[in-house]
Amino acid sequence: MPETAIRLKDAIFTYPQSGFKVICEDLSLNTDETALVTGKNGSGKTTLLKLCCGILRPESGTLFIFGEDANKQSLGKIGQNVGYLFQEPSRQLFAATVWDEMTFIGGILGEDPEAIKERAESLLRRFNMLDMRERSVYRLSRGEKQRLAIAAILMRKIRYLILDEPTTGLDGENKKALIEVIESLQNDGIGIAIISHDRGIINCCGQKRIHVEGGRVVQ
Amino acid sequence: MKTLDPRMKLFFVIVITTLALLFSHPLWMLCLSVTALLIGFFMGADFNVFFRKLIRFTKVLFIIAAVQIIFVRTGDALVVIDGFALVYYDGLMRGLNTAMRYFVILYSAAVMAGENSRRVIASLTQMKVPYMFAFMVMITLRFLPIYAESFSDAMTSIQLRGVELKKVRFGRKIRLYGHLLLPVVADSIAKSQDLSAAMEARGFGAKKTRTAYHVIEMRKSDFLFFVVFSLLSAGAIAGYYLLQ
Ligand SMILES: Nc1ncnc2c1ncn2[C@@H]1O[C@H](COP(=O)(O)OP(=O)(O)OP(=O)(O)O)[C@@H](O)[C@H]1O
Ligand SMILES: [Mg+2]
Repeated sequence: MPETAIRLKDAIFTYPQSGFKVICEDLSLNTDETALVTGKNGSGKTTLLKLCCGILRPESGTLFIFGEDANKQSLGKIGQNVGYLFQEPSRQLFAATVWDEMTFIGGILGEDPEAIKERAESLLRRFNMLDMRERSVYRLSRGEKQRLAIAAILMRKIRYLILDEPTTGLDGENKKALIEVIESLQNDGIGIAIISHDRGIINCCGQKRIHVEGGRVVQ
Repeated sequence: MKTLDPRMKLFFVIVITTLALLFSHPLWMLCLSVTALLIGFFMGADFNVFFRKLIRFTKVLFIIAAVQIIFVRTGDALVVIDGFALVYYDGLMRGLNTAMRYFVILYSAAVMAGENSRRVIASLTQMKVPYMFAFMVMITLRFLPIYAESFSDAMTSIQLRGVELKKVRFGRKIRLYGHLLLPVVADSIAKSQDLSAAMEARGFGAKKTRTAYHVIEMRKSDFLFFVVFSLLSAGAIAGYYLLQ
């Protein structure tokens, strides 16, 4: 069942330090499509998508997540449904080993250890990382870190995933692996928004184009 | 005093921080806070930075104080509810003391934040402190905001992974904060490695002495400050131990 995952309506946001402004009249992101966000460096792509998942909060306007007003929802609550991959993978990895990275949040939330183990194993298998489970997170390559970060985000049963330039610094091989991951998420019915300039990504994944210019969406 | 020698400011910060760690009596701590505030004010401390920091830390200060107030269970019972003593004298004193301690330490950071980093380096090297060391001092001061940024990114991303901070139990929260520090530490190690490689590549450290552009001289007011402040601190330490 396709649904509107995220809707950002009449939103205005200004960075106090630089005065850069993002204005979004009405943007909807659905679970059955992959949105490709493009635009020049500094046009406001990252800012727009951070507004779409509550990392930044608009001065005015409303963020709806699966129909609910999310302006006042905590990030933890939003994170039950929406995942966000930062441009910099190392700032979102928190554990010593690959396996710990997958399981520690479940532990903190007090979830059933058997269920955590099962889910972590199946995700790692799917991402071709099961044999790396004891590896140190900080000795992974950039591409592997990126994949691990996505796998760890998927430990929650999210329904929408935002990826900020996921292919930066990846070689052809790793890019292909990432595209496969994205396609398998599409098949699971997870909606995706990707900021990317990458040809490979544009050709295979983009079904809906969102072009950003000077802080505004020009479709 | 606004143009006080940066070395004197550094001296002030070091002494105040040491005293804050040394004192464990709220009355002494209160005197220290007030003195530090006054001197810092005349030194042109950046109150804007300070209050921004303070607001961010009030909750932490509060929790630290509250934990001690509740868990230190010696001395006279002060607040008794239904026959159960909630707050004891020692706990209250310890709580107040710790909160003020952090207040003073944060505050001295604000005093340094108002200082131009070039001047700090220049003044230290002219005191024959090796340039490399002076440079490290400055870099640490400079990079603090970046660590803060990587910490807040980490905080955001861990929450978006489904952690509702309010719902995490206390013991587990401590574990969570341990995890949060990891990317910050990794980030700073990576940064300092890159930095030292880049510096060596540009011939940094090839020569032992450097030509100074800013020559910073100690003036009478600096010496005066040094003497008065040293005496005051020495007196405070002596008094603290004698009167205990
Ligand atoms: N934390 C911040 N404080 C102040 N200004 C910022 C901040 N982050 C970004 N900006 C400014 O906002 C504008 C848009 O930034 P944003 O990161 O959204 O662009 P982008 O389209 O994602 O660019 P890139 O392709 O380089 O990632 C830029 O001009 C940037 O300088
Ligand atoms: Mg960006």
